Amino acid sequence: MFIQMKNFSVVASYAQMFQEGLVVTILLSLFTVVFGFVLALALVLMRMSSFRPFLWLAHVSPGVFGFFERDGSGMKRDSGFVYHLGRFNPLSFLATAYVEILRSTPVLVQIMIIYFGVFQFIDLPSFKLFGFIRFNRFFPGVVALGMNSGAYLCEIIRSGVQSIDGGQSEAARSLGLRQSQNFQYIILPQALKNILPAIANEFVVIIKESAITYTIGVQDIMAAVQAVKGATSIIMEPLLVATALYFCLCFPTSKIIAYFERRMSRGDKR
Amino acid sequence: MATRDSLIQVTDLKKHYNRGAIKALDGVTVDINRGDVMVVIGPSGSGKSTFLRSLNLLEDPTSGSIVFDGVDITKRKYKDSQGKMVKVNIDQHRQKMGMVFQHFNLFPHMTILDNMTLAPIKVKGQDRAAAEEKALALLDRVGLKDRAGAYPIQLSGGQKQRVAIVRALAMEPEVMLFDEPTSALDPEMVGEVLDVMKGLAREGMTMVVVTHEMGFAREVGNRVLFMADGLLLEEGTPQAIFETPQHPRLKDFLSKVL
Ligand SMILES: Nc1ncnc2c1ncn2[C@@H]1O[C@H](COP(=O)(O)OP(=O)(O)OP(=O)(O)O)[C@@H](O)[C@H]1O
Ligand SMILES: [Mg+2]
Repeated sequence: MFIQMKNFSVVASYAQMFQEGLVVTILLSLFTVVFGFVLALALVLMRMSSFRPFLWLAHVSPGVFGFFERDGSGMKRDSGFVYHLGRFNPLSFLATAYVEILRSTPVLVQIMIIYFGVFQFIDLPSFKLFGFIRFNRFFPGVVALGMNSGAYLCEIIRSGVQSIDGGQSEAARSLGLRQSQNFQYIILPQALKNILPAIANEFVVIIKESAITYTIGVQDIMAAVQAVKGATSIIMEPLLVATALYFCLCFPTSKIIAYFERRMSRGDKR
Repeated sequence: MATRDSLIQVTDLKKHYNRGAIKALDGVTVDINRGDVMVVIGPSGSGKSTFLRSLNLLEDPTSGSIVFDGVDITKRKYKDSQGKMVKVNIDQHRQKMGMVFQHFNLFPHMTILDNMTLAPIKVKGQDRAAAEEKALALLDRVGLKDRAGAYPIQLSGGQKQRVAIVRALAMEPEVMLFDEPTSALDPEMVGEVLDVMKGLAREGMTMVVVTHEMGFAREVGNRVLFMADGLLLEEGTPQAIFETPQHPRLKDFLSKVL
């Protein structure tokens, strides 16, 4: 038979590796979602900032550039090169470019570039977390996955922010709150509540995606599968064990999220 | 009438959209004096909201000037008393202009008390105890002290709007701007909100009120502005506007709403 019970007993002797792999997968995903979230917040702030270093060009008045800003009848222009240059926000441009590039290329390629490209030149200490997690593989894994999920989380947070009624900002600003205070006290708390389910779903995606980090030597669940295969040429049985482990991580997590999602929307209809 | 000191001078204010295809405001000039209760009326789309929202720069005017407390807030810089050029800080000016919206815009994730103390604490730097004491006194004034711990969703429309008014008052503004504060309310709740506004007017608060409540305009306003197509077509006392309207557009408008 293709799948044999006796092969499972071989796999059982690698139980320790699977156990450690499970811990690595969970920790990797947790660190990734935290790092990704912080990165995403920074990206959102960049994208929504009002940093317009060339705006002065459209405001020099009534000097040399004055005629750029206003037309013959003294009206503010809303077209033309200087107008668009004045509105150009380099921070927003960079953040947008980052998000679009990361979302339009494979994670595998990104991980390879981070590990072989970037961390080639950075000497990471080669200690082991908890005695079995190789820091110099784990850390690049977190960075690469976090950079990727940061791009997706950025879009999630942005959609959450955009879903908040414009009247909220107007009320906040009319009370004299600065744009940053408006974001911190009014917009973000409401946006986060709306997108909590989406963020939790992203966590499930990260758990599954983290399997790819075995390619740079992170000893997660997939690395345990590879170890069994390398030593014994048994492949289907360890894969089934890995499948079961990933399923037991992801399925309950999604169910818990769905439960809280239902409860929260019920609260809103009060 | 005795001359009163002018608080806001609006000069040739224009707001265009789509490269001038839409002229929401097409040159409005008006002086708002301290203690004025200025009621703005006019058909839908005439630019009333745009005018009001321009006063605290929620809309960025296309041209014209708004001088508030001696500073042209449409410019980026102004000369201070010592002749130095300083940046216009719009957040600072907005503190002095309270605004009340048609849809209340209370912060749904905060209690009524937190709604009221947020700006005094974060913007004015008041300490929490003082801000809460002040907020409770204001809530008491509009009969909602016992709802301080409630969330906006637990209040009726009229209660929400009363909270929105005192939330703005907590910043001790020099002028209050109202954009159709009763239009989103069930008819039986209009009165309680108008009563609060009448009280404010009696205390001498400077108010600019966009409303369709002609009764309020007549009873409480000391000046009525009639707008149409982004223009200020007629201005006068309530008597003049309602008893002896001049402009055909105003006559037409009044025949429809009265
Ligand atoms: N963001 C915008 N883009 C394009 N046109 C706009 C915008 N905002 C307002 N307008 C237009 O400007 C004009 C004036 O609008 P405004 O909201 O000031 O009218 P209003 O007098 O307040 O009307 P209502 O009584 O319906 O509230 C309208 O024709 C409106 O369609
Ligand atoms: Mg309006």
